Amino acid sequence: MRFSTIIFLTLLLFCQYTKAQLTEGYNSSLSHKKQVTLNIGSQGAGAEFGYGIVPRAAARLGANFIPVTAYNVYRVTGFNSTSKASAKFNNIHLLGDFIPFKTHSGFRLVGGVAYFFKASGDLTIIPSEHYTYGDIELSEEQVGTVTASADWGGIAPYLGLGLANLFPTGHFNINFDLGTYYLGKPKARMVGTGILESNASQTGQFQTNINNYRFMPVLQLNFNYKL
Amino acid sequence: MRVAYKIILSVLLLVASACTKPTEDIKIIVDTNIIKYTALIHVTDGATGGIAPAGAQIKISGGAAQQVYELSGKKDIHLTAGTVTIGLGPDVHPAANQPISITVEISAAGYKTVSQQVTFTANQLQQIINIGLIKTGSNQEPVSLPPPTVYMPVSLNFTGTCASRNNLQIRPSVYVFFKETGSGMPFQYLGYVDKGDITTSYLALGKTYDFQITYGGESHQVRQKIEQASYNLTIDMGNACNNF
Repeated sequence: MRFSTIIFLTLLLFCQYTKAQLTEGYNSSLSHKKQVTLNIGSQGAGAEFGYGIVPRAAARLGANFIPVTAYNVYRVTGFNSTSKASAKFNNIHLLGDFIPFKTHSGFRLVGGVAYFFKASGDLTIIPSEHYTYGDIELSEEQVGTVTASADWGGIAPYLGLGLANLFPTGHFNINFDLGTYYLGKPKARMVGTGILESNASQTGQFQTNINNYRFMPVLQLNFNYKL
Repeated sequence: MRVAYKIILSVLLLVASACTKPTEDIKIIVDTNIIKYTALIHVTDGATGGIAPAGAQIKISGGAAQQVYELSGKKDIHLTAGTVTIGLGPDVHPAANQPISITVEISAAGYKTVSQQVTFTANQLQQIINIGLIKTGSNQEPVSLPPPTVYMPVSLNFTGTCASRNNLQIRPSVYVFFKETGSGMPFQYLGYVDKGDITTSYLALGKTYDFQITYGGESHQVRQKIEQASYNLTIDMGNACNNF
């Protein structure tokens, strides 16, 4: 089966499941319900504890982690090089869920705040092996690397939607989060070594380019177990 | 459910609005200071102090000759407009008590051949070797031009660009020459550009100058009228771009 077919079927199931949950009536209070959640999505993998505070509102306390490293995701045209990209976004968060429509208990407004104790991305350009300068073959140290880094660490508010019922009616259910964190203003840095040392002078341009990169979208699948 | 769809759409638009390319206007900047210990060989016509005789040749000899390269890292060393910058390979460093010497021989048809020792020492990264060629049979001593007049300091920042590779910039570490535009004078030594930067007191306000660097057997020029204390100058590095 082709990968695109699998994606299509997954989305179809997602839509059907969500539609069924969204249109399900509000039939029981959230008060005092408890659950633990494992999740996976655009903010990495994580875990949460959920608790129903009042009939139509609940709170979730959790943590998420992204440790991702990828190679050759970025190519510099005309410069024989490889690249290494890494992202680390680790947060603890407190979210509140509110059911605005009594007749659609599977549709929730979600707001909250997270503390990102790590929120950084790095892209390193590494010139290819056997880099020659005229008739001289340079060592890796002589050639050096260029690294562009961005750091968003700190407190970030969250706003989003929750789709499908928050708490399982049985022991287990799945629901979804769609939203975004609004991260702090990023701190950019470019560092070069070897013959690429002067690239540090482009920190200002890089800072300008990423100043508006403050939305961290969240598309997340939650696996909930009722306590 | 229309409300929900509108909210979802708004969130997506909000996220999409931040999508400026992070690499916008970011270049790969390459320094040329790979060869640290350099010597500018500046050959002139000894009778006038002007441009070197046509066809002047350079030959490097001595025990360390194999470790000497042109500034662009090439073993092919020849004079361009009477100048060439040579230096030791990046893995060769003269010790404090053990300088490295070579012999530079300059010859041209109809002129006396000149041999001069060039010594690289641990505490001197740059040096200028001026050689004036005298015609065969002449007993005249080579003349040297008077030093340029001193004015207020002016900072110049040279950036090498590549027409065929827009995302590459070169920060030259080279010896730079200058002359007043239209003066008919030969190029004179201005100073050493370190990673693109030089501050000089040889430029007069209100005058226009041609600046010239020689790298990889090619001369590259840029013209600038001096009206303020600093300038960013861009030089098309031509075939030198293929070196990176």
